[in-house]
Amino acid sequence: MNRNSSMFTLYTGLLGLVTLAFGLADILVWAGASPGFSIGILEIAGGDFFRWAWGGAILVFGGLFMLGSLRGRGTMEQFGKIVLGAAMIWIIAGTDIFARLCESIPAGEEAPEFFNSVAGFVGGFAPPYSPAILLLPFTLGIVYFLFNGRFDEI
Amino acid sequence: MALPVQERWDLVDIIARKTVAAGAYRQNLGDVLGDLTVRPLTGIPVAFAVLYAFWSIFSSFAGALVTDGFMVKVFDSHWLPWLQGAWSDPASIHYFLFVGDPLAENCFEAFGMLTSGLFVAIGVVLPAIIIFYLMMTVLEDSGYLPRLAVLMDTVFHRIGLHGYAIVPVILGLGCNTPAVTATRVLETRKQRFIMMTLLAIFIPCGAQLGVMLEVIPDAVGWVMLFLLIGFGIFGFILDRIIPGSNPEILIDVPPYHWPLWENVTKKLMNRTKSFLKDAVPFVLFGVLVVNVLYLAGIIGALADLFEPLFVTWFGVPKETVGPLVAAFLRKDLAVAQLSAIAMTPYQMITAVVLVSIYFPCVATFVVMLREGWKELAAAVAVLVATVFIYGGLIHAVGILMGVA
Repeated sequence: MNRNSSMFTLYTGLLGLVTLAFGLADILVWAGASPGFSIGILEIAGGDFFRWAWGGAILVFGGLFMLGSLRGRGTMEQFGKIVLGAAMIWIIAGTDIFARLCESIPAGEEAPEFFNSVAGFVGGFAPPYSPAILLLPFTLGIVYFLFNGRFDEI
Repeated sequence: MALPVQERWDLVDIIARKTVAAGAYRQNLGDVLGDLTVRPLTGIPVAFAVLYAFWSIFSSFAGALVTDGFMVKVFDSHWLPWLQGAWSDPASIHYFLFVGDPLAENCFEAFGMLTSGLFVAIGVVLPAIIIFYLMMTVLEDSGYLPRLAVLMDTVFHRIGLHGYAIVPVILGLGCNTPAVTATRVLETRKQRFIMMTLLAIFIPCGAQLGVMLEVIPDAVGWVMLFLLIGFGIFGFILDRIIPGSNPEILIDVPPYHWPLWENVTKKLMNRTKSFLKDAVPFVLFGVLVVNVLYLAGIIGALADLFEPLFVTWFGVPKETVGPLVAAFLRKDLAVAQLSAIAMTPYQMITAVVLVSIYFPCVATFVVMLREGWKELAAAVAVLVATVFIYGGLIHAVGILMGVA
């Protein structure tokens, strides 16, 4: 096992664990273990079944895919599982960002104008963020290997 | 002169050697992902994630951005006040037919042909249809849909269908009309009948989903859950009582690829054009017909006639008879009408489920008739029984839960 491989295994394992933990936290907050919390730039609101229970379950599966890829040697299939795990994060984060975009473009029901101001639009993307959005930058390593086709080196 | 068999095979070998180049197969990442998404252990979570993305993008775009963000403002703050001011004599019949309630503050409540009719068709349903068909086309052209068919094969076999039944089901979530035509992907008459009946009863169209999202956003999940359960139960029963075979199929699964945007645009344009041509006139005409029926006192008479059934058996107010009449013309229209009736949340869920499982809209009805009048008559018989049994069952569940 070369150095690249060990580093990538460590990176995938950590990302998988954190993704799993965030997914479980989403579900637990929705189930009422906590009324919803916000720490720094992280927020889990937990009110909506679709976003927090269903979305949380998808993050749980994403984490499990990444952790499942750690078993066995570094084959193409292992990398496929890592990509699927990352895709789960991209789906939840992508839809969260798209939802913010869709809510930020119009001015709001009470305002007389149709479009939001630039400040209002940018403000729509201000923190706090959902766990999936916070995980997004940490999947860049997978994107790097994916687009450079260097997964046979890991 | 015909060649002997051996010489013919030799000739085939010579041609093959000259024309076919065989290289070593090297599995790529696309192949691996394609394989992982049809295996149940990895494929089912991916299917859940895809459905999540589908619904999330649908509700953000159609609900938050276009309808709530712009259309509500255009119709309620500009179009409705202008119409109410410009149209003379609010007490006249034509005012009632075209503008509706003169005291209404929004287009959903006005219920005139040019207020509710236009708002539902253009403001609510059109954006829902556009985003639905866009995502559907992307899934289709990327190669994911055949994989979903493979994954769903075992589930659909339980109700006498096979994996490709996912195509009419997903199409039906856009519009039931092309979905009924798409039942031809199924092999036997039995399978086509089961699919057509289940489509007509349990699959809400995109238009209805769009309106549900707008008027009862918190109850959409419950309505869909009741419809999904009904789809499974009644599919299972139909499979047991209808004679005929359920053959296996072989599905050709293409590799994943990026959709060609020219194809996506073309499909989207064609499907949207077809919706505009088929559905918009039905919505406008539907409002007009329902208003005429109200004026003639027919809706009131029907409400009185069916009151015992609706109030006692289904547990919903007798005023829901009007929307049920409208549901035959357009189900989205009927849901919009229901939103104006005072009901408890559970009654609203029951009423929306009833609108969904009650008669197919007239456009679907016509397409079903084209598939065969015997099938249509049998589907209607199943439908009447289903509405009666399932409607009563939902009421019973509500009573047991203490919410009805």
